[in-house]
Amino acid sequence: MIDDEIIQSMNSYLSFKLGEEFFAVHVSKVLNILEMMPITAVPKSHDSIKGVINLRGSVLAVVDIRMKFDLAHSEFSKDTCILVLQVLINDEQIDVGAVVDSVHAVLEIDESQILPPPSVGVKYKSEFVTGIIKMDEKFIMILDIDKLFSLDNFITKLEDIHTEHKLI
Amino acid sequence: MDNFQKKFIEEAIDLINNLEEALLNLEKKPDDNELIAAVFRIMHSLKGGGGMFGFDDISHFTHNLETIYDEVRNNRLKLTEELLSVTFSAVDHLRNLLNTNALKDPLIKKNHDLLLQKVDNIQKNFETTNLSSEIESDINEKSETGEKTFFVQFIPHENIMDNGTNPLYLIDELCSLGKAQSYPKLNKIPLLAKFSPAKCYTFWEVILVTNKEINDLKGVFIFVEDESELQVIKLSDMDILSSKTIIEEFENKLLSDDKTDINKLQAFIKEQEAKIKTQKVSVIEKLSNFTKENVISSIRVDSEKIDQLMNLVSELVTTQASLSLYVEENQVYELNQLSENIENITRQLRDTAFSISLIPIETMLTRFHRLIRDLSFEFNKNIEFITEGAETELDKTLVQGLTDPLMHIIRNSVDHGIEPEQERLAKGKTPQGMIYLKAYYSGAHVVIKVQDDGRGINPAVIKQKAIEKDLISHDFQLTDKEILDLVFLPGFSTAEVITDVSGRGVGMDVVKKKIDEIRGTVDLESKVNVGTTITIKLPLTLSIIDGLLVELNKTKYVMPLNLVDKIYAVEHEKLTKSYNNLAIIDEEQIPFYNLREEFSVAGPAPQIEQLVTVKYEDKRVGLLVDNVIGEYQAVLKPLGKLFINHDIISGATILGDGTIALVLDTNKIIHEFSFKN
Repeated sequence: MIDDEIIQSMNSYLSFKLGEEFFAVHVSKVLNILEMMPITAVPKSHDSIKGVINLRGSVLAVVDIRMKFDLAHSEFSKDTCILVLQVLINDEQIDVGAVVDSVHAVLEIDESQILPPPSVGVKYKSEFVTGIIKMDEKFIMILDIDKLFSLDNFITKLEDIHTEHKLI
Repeated sequence: MDNFQKKFIEEAIDLINNLEEALLNLEKKPDDNELIAAVFRIMHSLKGGGGMFGFDDISHFTHNLETIYDEVRNNRLKLTEELLSVTFSAVDHLRNLLNTNALKDPLIKKNHDLLLQKVDNIQKNFETTNLSSEIESDINEKSETGEKTFFVQFIPHENIMDNGTNPLYLIDELCSLGKAQSYPKLNKIPLLAKFSPAKCYTFWEVILVTNKEINDLKGVFIFVEDESELQVIKLSDMDILSSKTIIEEFENKLLSDDKTDINKLQAFIKEQEAKIKTQKVSVIEKLSNFTKENVISSIRVDSEKIDQLMNLVSELVTTQASLSLYVEENQVYELNQLSENIENITRQLRDTAFSISLIPIETMLTRFHRLIRDLSFEFNKNIEFITEGAETELDKTLVQGLTDPLMHIIRNSVDHGIEPEQERLAKGKTPQGMIYLKAYYSGAHVVIKVQDDGRGINPAVIKQKAIEKDLISHDFQLTDKEILDLVFLPGFSTAEVITDVSGRGVGMDVVKKKIDEIRGTVDLESKVNVGTTITIKLPLTLSIIDGLLVELNKTKYVMPLNLVDKIYAVEHEKLTKSYNNLAIIDEEQIPFYNLREEFSVAGPAPQIEQLVTVKYEDKRVGLLVDNVIGEYQAVLKPLGKLFINHDIISGATILGDGTIALVLDTNKIIHEFSFKN
């Protein structure tokens, strides 16, 4: 028998806001929600990497996922948060911080409520979006963050930057 | 059990390494009895340990080898070259066997069988010629295998012979189990008038030395046990019969025709045993005193525990920085003294903890000796390997990271560097080539030099190759040194024939990459027909550096202090007007980079900026920053996987106020910016 709690958490999603859009990730991927704090910028890094913060004595990279969705930069407010996510990159579990405009709620969603991502007229690259929830006349996009952070989006870009510099 | 097996594997790796080292020495001095004995001892420990912890393959495999070396040790077998090379292969194979599933791999299995056969052959050759001595040694060996002394008191029932049992047979059988001394007791025999010839009045007491167990002894009497009195006790773990004094005293004092009092006997034996032991102890004590010194001077610690210790020390350093900051900001005078004390202790603790994780580079040298030996055979070259400064210590992670690149460098020297004997003679060199490895401390660095007296590298050939491979263009004007540095570029391998040893398409670029990974530098010097020298420079430790804390628009950076030369205050306007990024300081032109510009820092620059000059190769180069804050002990933390190729920043450190400062790799920064411009 499986605990009720586990069943619940299996269907729990954390929803958050980026600009005017709502997104959600599975709670098992979220390790922590941090208040906004000063981020140390890393020079010469990828545009979507905001910098690093001190997470209880270790260094955590913080990423701006807006860029993935072509959202305009917005000023930090008192609602701005950093989600500490556990992402699978290159078969390795890596902790990454993601800046979001506000955290919305933890939603218990039945599998049947999740609609497949529309194949036509998509605003965002559907490779990151695994499903859509319709709630109170709002659409919430469920993200596959492993794909969102997949290698060719961050690390190879860095390599490009370097090869540019290294060419004789 | 898993834990024990891990322990054994650790120990076995040490043993195998020691074995290899001993064999290498033995090759030079084949008559050295101590070395032969050492080889035998190590094999013996491997066999014993292997058997005990379930590594039966190892135990079985070593057993035969051990037997051979036992013969060598006893001067009954000569140490031949063939035997040595088989043993060397066996050493390699033993490393494989540490993986319990190794024999499932068909290749390893094949090798295993082949080696066993070779060992067998050596043994058989020997056996046929030395059959008689073999038997002798067999017997000797048996007497060493844990024998015990038993006392058996057998009082048969008077009517024992009624059913056809002959008690004498039983005693005979008992005595056949080992070395025995039997004492028939006759005092129960009645006067002749009452005597019945069909009855047994005699009883026996036997002292038996055997390696059998108590039940085996009792088994002899199994059919008569019920109607007889039988006492079997273990007297001692030693062989008492071989001690004449004990037996004599025993016979004089205790033997009568009466039944021996077992309690008295045991007490007596204990007493005698104690006497013998004290005699032995004085000898053993001397020995153990000798080994004690060795044992206590070093202990084996799990490397994970050391990592843990280092982490804690790092955290302590960070916490201590917070405390200092607090005291300074709040001007708490009572805490001042305390905080300074803690700072002092932390510094000492840091240094001690670091020294724990240092290991001498000697630990990897054996492998190189072996490599050169094997390769010399393969290429038919005569090479001497000389090492100096083997006691130089390095962080253990550095040693791990260094082994592969050094291996590669040495392979290159043997394969491409050192010429065959004929060629050397024709050039007027000594027939024997030389590879020289020297390690020494230089400031906060450790330098490792690998030098050979071989062909050297011809810059013209390198240049040609580089042009062919499109790495540079024809009209490039390069100094010889710059040309030599081309070998470090990816995809550059000069070997004309791809051999098994070097030139598998990977070359010095991999060496450089590996050394870069551990924050070291590689340098190559070479003269045609004189030889090549490769110099590797490494930081002493990886995790904490003394740094200079600087600021760029409120973001803090740390530069490694050992590279910082001087700090100058300069007016912003004067510098920006300067031509070609050259600053004139102390009547010297110094190239500089404005980090504000290079890092695209926002906001206006302050009126007065600081120019930090750092050492780069043999020059001074300036880096322009807003402000210099001061000296700082930086605990290096990795930036994380997302910055995997970001090598201008070597890591991050957490400041006293909890914010992060980035640690700059000034060498990489200057290197990169100079290429860009």
